[in-house]
Amino acid sequence: MPTLLAAAKDPTDVLDDLKPAGPKATVLDPAKAHLGKTIKNERQLIRARFSPDGLHLAAAGLDKIIHVWELETEKKHTLPGHVTWVSALVFNPKGKQLFTADFQGNIRAWDYVKPDSQPLFTITGADRQITRALAVSNDGALLLSGGDDGVVRAWSTKDGKPAKEFGTALTTPVWQRVFKAGEAGHCGGIYALAVHPDGKSFVSGDQFGVAKHWEIASGKLVRDLDARLLYTRKEDFIADVGGVRCFAFDAKGERLAAGGLSKAESNAFCPGTPAVLVFDWTTGKALTELKLTVKSDGPINGLRYLSDGTLAGFGEHQSAATVCAFWKPADKPEPFHTVSAQSATDLDLHPDGQRLVSPLFVANGSGGNGAREKFKDKYVQNASQIALINLFAKVDTKPAKPVKKA
Amino acid sequence: MKRWYECGSAEHALSRRQMLGTLAGTAAVGACGLSSLMQQTVAAEMKKQNRQVIFIWLDGGMSQFESWDPKPDSEFGGPFRSIPTSVPGVHISELMPHSAKLMHHLTVVRSMCTKDPNHSTGVARIQRGDPANRGVNYPYLGAAVTKLLGTPANGLPPYIWIKPGSGGFIYQEAGFLGAKYGALALGEGKPPIHIQRPDTISDADDAARNELRRLANARFRLDRRESEVDAYEQSYDMAMQLMKRKELFDNSRLPAKDIARYGTHPLGRHLLQARVLLEAGVQFIKVTSYHWDTHGDNFNMSQQLVPQVDQPFAALIQDLADRSMLDNVLVVLMSEFGRTPTINSRLGRDHWPDAWSLALAGAGIRRGNIVGQTTKNGAFVDGEGYDVGHLFHTIFSALGINSKKIEYKNNGQPLPIARDDCEPIKLALA
Repeated sequence: MPTLLAAAKDPTDVLDDLKPAGPKATVLDPAKAHLGKTIKNERQLIRARFSPDGLHLAAAGLDKIIHVWELETEKKHTLPGHVTWVSALVFNPKGKQLFTADFQGNIRAWDYVKPDSQPLFTITGADRQITRALAVSNDGALLLSGGDDGVVRAWSTKDGKPAKEFGTALTTPVWQRVFKAGEAGHCGGIYALAVHPDGKSFVSGDQFGVAKHWEIASGKLVRDLDARLLYTRKEDFIADVGGVRCFAFDAKGERLAAGGLSKAESNAFCPGTPAVLVFDWTTGKALTELKLTVKSDGPINGLRYLSDGTLAGFGEHQSAATVCAFWKPADKPEPFHTVSAQSATDLDLHPDGQRLVSPLFVANGSGGNGAREKFKDKYVQNASQIALINLFAKVDTKPAKPVKKA
Repeated sequence: MKRWYECGSAEHALSRRQMLGTLAGTAAVGACGLSSLMQQTVAAEMKKQNRQVIFIWLDGGMSQFESWDPKPDSEFGGPFRSIPTSVPGVHISELMPHSAKLMHHLTVVRSMCTKDPNHSTGVARIQRGDPANRGVNYPYLGAAVTKLLGTPANGLPPYIWIKPGSGGFIYQEAGFLGAKYGALALGEGKPPIHIQRPDTISDADDAARNELRRLANARFRLDRRESEVDAYEQSYDMAMQLMKRKELFDNSRLPAKDIARYGTHPLGRHLLQARVLLEAGVQFIKVTSYHWDTHGDNFNMSQQLVPQVDQPFAALIQDLADRSMLDNVLVVLMSEFGRTPTINSRLGRDHWPDAWSLALAGAGIRRGNIVGQTTKNGAFVDGEGYDVGHLFHTIFSALGINSKKIEYKNNGQPLPIARDDCEPIKLALA
C-alpha cells in the first residue's frame, strides 16, 4: 500500500513532521514555500482535507470512495463512499466525524478513524440535486450543506436530522435561472460555504457570483457581498460560467477571500482569468482583486489564510501547469511567491500551519483530442496526486564540505 | 444554357417534375389501367417528394456520456445517473428526461466512429459526408438533399438554416452543385431584413424594379457561366417568396403553450421556428446551436447545455408525431464528434471521434431502437463502427434516394452521392 512516506523523493519532505512525536517544522516562511511530498491516486480527486487534530488526511473524488491516511502510522484505509462522484468533504472540528457529499445530493457522516466502516448516517437527497459545498459550525453541532437548489440547509451532526434552512429552494432548472439583484435567497446553485471564525454567521457563494452573509442562530440573511466579478455570461453564451468556487476567512474574521474565475471568454473551453476578491468583513466592500502573474485559465478552487496574513490560492489550467500562489493582499494584487504545479481542485491548511495539501491533476498520457483507436490498449483514465506544499525553507541536507587543512 | 453544375441524373429529372404533373400522371395510370407496379413507383415518388428533413447540429460536440450513452459505473462515466426510457432496457442520461419519454420514436446510434478530431476540418467533413477526395467541393447535406429530392413546388426556399448570429444566403454550402443550392440562413431565426416591403413601394413599383433586376442579371450572365448569378437570383426569389409568407415569422401567432414547451432559449425558439417551417413545407431545415465544445467544466456545462436540446427536441418529436408528420420528416440530431472518455485538468472532456452517438427519428427510420454499442467503459465501439459515409447512405435511404445508384454529374464527371465504400446502417432503417 502506498504511503505518503513511501512516495517521498525529497528527504526534506518529512511527513514525520506531522506526527505528534515528530520533529516540528521550522519557521513559517511562505516566500520559501515549495512542493513537498506527493502520493498518487489512480483516479482524479476533487477534495483533500486535514482532520482538525492534524492526524489524518482525507481525500475523495471520481472513484467515489473516501481515502483516509493515518499520518502517524502512515497507513491508508478507505471508506465505502458514495454511488457517484464525491463533491465535498469536511471534518467536524469537534470529535471524529467526517462528512462527505455527492453529485446526487446525498450526504454521509463517517467515523473516519475506523477502516471500511459504514456511514454513521446518510442524508439522502439532502440538496435535491448536486450537493456542492459543506461546512460545519464552529461548535460542531450543525452541518451546513449547499447545492443546486440554492438553499443552505443545516443538519444536526448527531443524527443528520434537518435543523434549519437558509433561503428558499429554487424550483427552476439550473439552465433556466436568471440572476436578480437583492433577492432574499440565492438565484442559483451554491458552490461554496464558510463559517466565520466568530461562529455566529456563515457565508454562501453561488453560481452568479453572489455571496450571502447569514446569521446562524436566527437564520436571517444579513447582507449580500458582491462577487459578480467571478461570473460571466456574454451575449452569445448559452450557459453561465464561473461562480464563487471557494472562500477563506482570515484568523480574526476581518477579511473574507472569495475565489473563482473572471472574464470568461466562452462557455465551452470556459477560459478566463483566475481571480480572488478580498472583502472587508465589517463593511462588506471588496478591497482588492488578486491576480496571477503566470498564464492560467481556470478558476481558483481553494483559498487559505496563513497565520502571518498571507493568502494562499490554487486553481486549474487547461493542459499545462499552473501555480499555487501566495499573496499579501494588503500589499499588492500580484503574488509574492508561487509554486508551480498541475491543476488543483481544493486547498487545505494543516492545523500546524506549516503545510498545505491539494489534490492535483495527473495526466496519464491519454489526454487531448482523439482519435486513439490505435492506442486502445493504452487508453487509461487520468489520475491525481495528493501534494503537500511546505510553507518553510527547504532544509539543505547536503553534507558540509570538509574544511581543508592548511 | 445548361449549367455545368446541374445534376444530370434521371433521378433528379424525375424529381423536378411538379407535384401537379405527378398527380396528373397518377390519374392517367389509373385511367389506362396500367400495372400496379407502375402505380407503386408513382406512389413512391410522391412519397419521396413529400419528404422533409430537420438537421439539428450541436456545434462543438455534445458529450455522449452526458446524453445518449451514459456509463455511470465506468471509470469514464461522469457524475450523472442514467435513467430508463420509454423503451424497456434502454437508458440514457438523466440530463435528457424529456427525450427518455419519447425513446419509442427514436433510433440512437451509439457506434459512430469517425476520423477527424478537429472542428476546423471536422464540421465541413461531417456535413459533406466525408467524401473521398475527388478534387471537388462536395455539397453540405442540406444542399445535397434539396438537389436530390428536387425542389417542391410550394413557393418556399427549399433549404433554410436557422442559426445564432447573422443570416444571409450561404451559397458555399452548395459546393459543386452550384450556388443556387445554398442555404438561406435566418440569423437568430429572423427572416431576411427586407421581407417587410415599405408601404411607400406599390405593387406596380415592386414588380417594375424586379423586372429591371432580372434584365440586368440576364445581361450580366450572357458571357458568364458561374453560378453566382443564379445564387443572386435565387436569394432574391427566396426573399420574394418569404415576403408572401410573413405569417411564418409572426411569433405572436404561436401558442404560449408551445413557446413554454420548447423553451425561450435560442435552441428552443429556433426549433419551434423550424417546426413552423416544416409545417409550411420547407424541405430541409438545419438548426445550429454553438458552444458545445466543453473542454472546460464539462459537467457544469453539460448540466446547463444538454437540457437545452432535450426539451425542445422532445417537443419537436412529440409535435411531429401528433401531426402525423413523423412518416415524412426525417430528424437528425448530431455533432461533429463526441467527447473524450478521459477527463482533463479543467474537468472537461476533449474531442472524441472514436466512439460517439447521434439520434435519428421519423421518415424511414426504425423506432424505439438502439444501434451499436460501446465498450463497457464507453471508450471505443464494441463491434461494427459507423463512419459519416454510412450515415449519409442511411439518410439518403431513409428519404427514398438510392444512394448506391444515384450519382451526381459534375461537368460530365459522375460522382457518388455518398462514399462508395460505405453502406446504409440497415439496423437504423425501418
